[in-house]
Amino acid sequence: MKAQSILGSAAVGVGLGALLLPAAALADTRVSPATTPVGGTVVLTSTCNPKAGDAIFRVTGPDRDQNVRSTTAAAGGGLSAELFTAGFTLGTYTVATTCGDGSDGGSATFTVTPIGGAQAGAGGRDGDTGVLVAGGALAAGAVAGGAYVLVRRRRRAGVTA
Amino acid sequence: MVIPRIGVDAEIVAVATDDDGALEVPPLEHPEVAGWYRPGPAPGQAGNAVLVGHVDSTRGPAVFFDLGRLRPGDTVRVVRADGRTVAFTVDGVGAYPKARFPTERVYGGGAAARLRLITCGGRFDPRTGSYPDNIVVFATAAG
Repeated sequence: MKAQSILGSAAVGVGLGALLLPAAALADTRVSPATTPVGGTVVLTSTCNPKAGDAIFRVTGPDRDQNVRSTTAAAGGGLSAELFTAGFTLGTYTVATTCGDGSDGGSATFTVTPIGGAQAGAGGRDGDTGVLVAGGALAAGAVAGGAYVLVRRRRRAGVTA
Repeated sequence: MVIPRIGVDAEIVAVATDDDGALEVPPLEHPEVAGWYRPGPAPGQAGNAVLVGHVDSTRGPAVFFDLGRLRPGDTVRVVRADGRTVAFTVDGVGAYPKARFPTERVYGGGAAARLRLITCGGRFDPRTGSYPDNIVVFATAAG
């Protein structure tokens, strides 16, 4: 019971200093945001005890295995570092932290995604206002198909008339 | 993939990103084809599988022209390369300016198998040659 109590206190960072080596195993790692467009910056944070020294965040993923050293004391306690994702391959990355005392600092994941939305349209045939009208209706989540069909039918009627 | 409500029955090709880091779309020469974002989960796997398709081409409506007509409860079926069919139920449909694309909701992870369908929306701007918005359908694997 006593050991559990010590571990629990250490887990919330009550500041028992170097006596808490076993407790560091309960440290936690977070990544914010958990999803970023490629080129964005994520903040890696661990609850490692800063007094034990810098934490090392090991970032592994689709084509990457790099260590990032903590640079600042996190506002809420622990240590953090910023990671710039320019040049990262798209996919999910794992951040595994080693605290300054060599203990396990926990792990977390983040995902690198494409930038923005998709360019998924060409505006229809030149002068075909039916598609343009339909595109606007789509944005409103309305009856785009109906609008298009209506205009197309009118065009056909005009052609055949 | 099959979307009965809007009459979609389309082939799927793999896509990734272009040189600018934006989501690739299937070639405009094949507007009837949808693209699966290969770096992400496959449909039916844990996480968000993403499919993208054109709303139109220079020749007229494309595979996702009617995507904005989907409503919660509608069904999307995807036949995977392994022959397994995964059915998804639509949770919702949204329109977003491309500058405020909901990256986390589209690509975010999680234990559930989810599906995101993306196309263009808004009024086509002939000056820029593009639409201002994206239509996104949010769906979750049924059963």
